[in-house]
Amino acid sequence: MIPVKKKSEVTFLFNFIPFNDNPMINLLKKLTILTCQIMLVTILLVSCDSTPRYEPTRDYKSIEKALMTEFLLAKDSSVIELDGGHFIFKNSLILDSKKHITIRGKGMDKTVLSFILQEEGAEGIRIANCENIVLEDFTVEDAAGDNIKVTDTKGITFRRIKSAWTGEISEENGAYALYPVICTDVLIEECEVMGASDAGVYVGQSENVIIRNNKVYWNVAGIESENSENVEIYGNKSYNNTGGILVFDLPGLTRNGRNVKVYNNEVYDNNLFNFAPKGNIVASVPPGTGMIIMATRDVEVYNNKISGNNTLSMGIVSYELMAALSEEPEGETSTSSAKQVEENHRVDEQYNPYPGKVYVHDNEYSDYSLIPNLDSDFAKLFVLKFGMDKPHVIWDGIQSPDYLLAGGEVNPDYRICVQEDGIKTAILDAANMFEGLETNPTSLNCSL
Amino acid sequence: MKVRILWLFIPLLLGCEKTDREKKITYEEELYDESVVTASLGFGLLSEYGFFEGELRNLDPAKNVFPYELNSPLFSDYALKRRFISLPEGSEVQYHPTEALDFPVGTTLIKNFYYDDDQLTGQKGRIIETRLLIRKEDGWQALPYVWNEEQTDAKLEITGGNQEVLLKGKKPINYLIPNVAQCKSCHELNGKIAPIGPTARQLNRDLEFSGKTYNQLTNLAEAGFLKGLPSSGIPRLARYEHPESGTLDERARAYLEVNCAHCHRLEGPAKNSGLYLLASNDHSEQVGIMKSPVAAGKGSGNLKYDIVPGAPDKSILVRRMNSIQPEVMMPELGRKLIHTEGVKLIREWIEGMN
Repeated sequence: MIPVKKKSEVTFLFNFIPFNDNPMINLLKKLTILTCQIMLVTILLVSCDSTPRYEPTRDYKSIEKALMTEFLLAKDSSVIELDGGHFIFKNSLILDSKKHITIRGKGMDKTVLSFILQEEGAEGIRIANCENIVLEDFTVEDAAGDNIKVTDTKGITFRRIKSAWTGEISEENGAYALYPVICTDVLIEECEVMGASDAGVYVGQSENVIIRNNKVYWNVAGIESENSENVEIYGNKSYNNTGGILVFDLPGLTRNGRNVKVYNNEVYDNNLFNFAPKGNIVASVPPGTGMIIMATRDVEVYNNKISGNNTLSMGIVSYELMAALSEEPEGETSTSSAKQVEENHRVDEQYNPYPGKVYVHDNEYSDYSLIPNLDSDFAKLFVLKFGMDKPHVIWDGIQSPDYLLAGGEVNPDYRICVQEDGIKTAILDAANMFEGLETNPTSLNCSL
Repeated sequence: MKVRILWLFIPLLLGCEKTDREKKITYEEELYDESVVTASLGFGLLSEYGFFEGELRNLDPAKNVFPYELNSPLFSDYALKRRFISLPEGSEVQYHPTEALDFPVGTTLIKNFYYDDDQLTGQKGRIIETRLLIRKEDGWQALPYVWNEEQTDAKLEITGGNQEVLLKGKKPINYLIPNVAQCKSCHELNGKIAPIGPTARQLNRDLEFSGKTYNQLTNLAEAGFLKGLPSSGIPRLARYEHPESGTLDERARAYLEVNCAHCHRLEGPAKNSGLYLLASNDHSEQVGIMKSPVAAGKGSGNLKYDIVPGAPDKSILVRRMNSIQPEVMMPELGRKLIHTEGVKLIREWIEGMN
């Protein structure tokens, strides 16, 4: 059945291992080749099978000028009603400097705004400098950059919005699906969000934020709160992302984050490969991550069900660790450049790269896999350090210079408390090549 | 046996190939009645404002309409621009050392975008559009006017539009005439519409007009409009196209200011990025040097920093200037072509850093 020619082509792949006369060695070699092939095939099959695709049927129609006109001329305190149908746009739809506007469709999947042919602008819908805007009951898909970006707005509600990229998920997908940034009074509820090559639900540099009862999957980061204050994330299902929920603070931005509560969420099976373009912070999130809290203060995480995240259920880390994970290999950047990066971090005096006042308690953990997803250096290190018995919750242990007070006790501003039943915790001591690694350290057993 | 295992899966492997991007997207075209838009935003025709005398297309300014040029202009797909300020009789413009001059209510800034015959191939030179910024009681208003084929007048089109432009040596482009909201995507300062170009440092230069050569600021002051012009120490931005006008650093920073800093400044719509590109900013990270991107998405293109000194190919700034993909390119709006000369300037600037 199989042409001989093909056979020679296949074995050619393995010619780099020369056969010799010793039958034992040859047998070993054959075994090696066979194993290689099985692994190769398995890898290809797995990568093929596990790349999710979203292929809804679409029957597009253009209403671009008409809808754009409505957006441009919308009177304050009015409703823009969207018909049912699949509508296609080449430009961003922009709503600027309006008050009390509702944009309402006929329902998720019934009203679809598609930006698959986008020529102008980086986002699908852009809302800027507005007050009290409600978006509800429609789908936005396939924007070149972000599906819905809202900036400099006080009062923005996303309700029953589906935000997606069609086709096979890939690095080619846009960055953020729902993206309020520099906003106050943000409500994101009952939305369905998928396919973002950065974060699905991404709230940045905002204040007074509620993210609740959403379904978030097939993104690199499911839900990300970044440099935001007074944030509640609850009742969400975040699954099949690379990382489920991220609470991050980055340097050099208009504001820093604090006071974030994450509770009653289901965070499971976040084992998707990382398809974020490098250079973005989420590109260093290891596949198989439930939650990461990075460099943020006043964070409480409780009553969540965290399961099946194959690498790490929860990490509490400093910006230094995340920055190290994304750094160029040695030799790629010059010493002066590396110094410049350090200098940059030092110059932002408002920024604190260490987490503090983090309280993780009463969450439910279960794992399906003994070994982590080995796609990241972080996971490989995990296997090396912990073998099959990996911890559920880790703190990287990288301490602020102010970590200890003069009397030797821990500065209350930097306390990390993990009170959970029957799980393994660890302090990695990542700053010292894991020399002081501690498992189930009593120092984490505290409450705030 | 080993061969058989692999062979078995070949069809499955082929099944992995992506077909999405090749898929042709078809859609039902929009039937849109232009006359539905009876916007009471401004005059329906450009001619109604009375900015110009004689044939409109000659753009001969009427009384109190002053032509001006900028030291470093924004790149707009190689379109040429003729700019005018229309000032109400007896009004006063206040000098400002760093921001745009403070123009009185009733001012209109007029910017005509056109191509010359010798820039185009298979098309005649023409004025494409005229953008107005009108200073009203409650702030500035932006209005785009699109010229007709006969080049006799231009009509208000609040949704903007597109026109095919055939530039010599370039691919045909679908030139963008911005809609009213897109105007504000650039013309925004602290959330409100604002002029960008007419700052003292941009206007501080000579202009040749009607056979005379004069300094633009001095002329406005002598005409009685500009108040508070200092007798010395007026700032001047380098002209990035003219090496004699400044050092490489000065010209590169002038280029970045005029093409990027309308958004990339603390008071602009891209403040969330932490990248601030006014030429006066001397904070090296804010200018992008070894700065990690914040929300660049695909814009990062697997690069780690906005500017890596000495390495333009590793600098996100260059990558984004050198792209025409909507989600990658910078600026986000208003160009369909790469500004080769601009990219070259910024590359040289980064190459020279150490």
